[in-house]
Amino acid sequence: MNRKKHNQLRVVIAFFVSAIVALAVIRNSYLLAATGVLTGMVFMVLVRVKAKIRTDEREATVQEKAARMTYAIFAPTIGIAAFLLLLPSRGGISVFSKGEWMFTESLGMVFAYLTLFLITIYAISYHFFNKKFGGGGDEE
Amino acid sequence: MKNKLKVFRAMHNLTQEQLADKIGVSRQTVIAIESNKYLPSLGLAFKIARLFKVKVEDIFIREGKEDDNEN
Repeated sequence: MNRKKHNQLRVVIAFFVSAIVALAVIRNSYLLAATGVLTGMVFMVLVRVKAKIRTDEREATVQEKAARMTYAIFAPTIGIAAFLLLLPSRGGISVFSKGEWMFTESLGMVFAYLTLFLITIYAISYHFFNKKFGGGGDEE
Repeated sequence: MKNKLKVFRAMHNLTQEQLADKIGVSRQTVIAIESNKYLPSLGLAFKIARLFKVKVEDIFIREGKEDDNEN
């Protein structure tokens, strides 16, 4: 199976999953949606294994750059959003501490924890890859 | 960095698809290398050189400053 056939099969599977999920939405069935998505994932893996598709190095470079840019944009955005959402309630501005504004503090907390989670994951993966690729050693 | 991949491919009568299959990358990668949009890794550069039975520097030619990072 070549790359072209592999791509065609991926499109067919994506259509199949979309159809199943659409049907699940119409029927209001979570089980059907979950089954459709899981089946699609299994088929995707099977097709990839059968096609023996290796990750192309250019593709990997593109993915790395995209991931780096996503992190560089997403981390400050969510961090600043958390700060701005928490600021009114912490600053003692009473209008933001009651009624329909109550949710802003909760949302701010969620955003703050998400930011921490993101930074933690980045730090752990950075440490791991730095060790893997020989960084941090003092040997000559 | 410039390269003569297109020339070597033509000399060996290979299509982009055939070359891509032989070196284990996608056709898009071959297109990107030929048009100098993507600089291949050292491993891939050696693979290409070995396929055409030439030295890496016969295909890939260094131009300009030594310390620039193109990828």
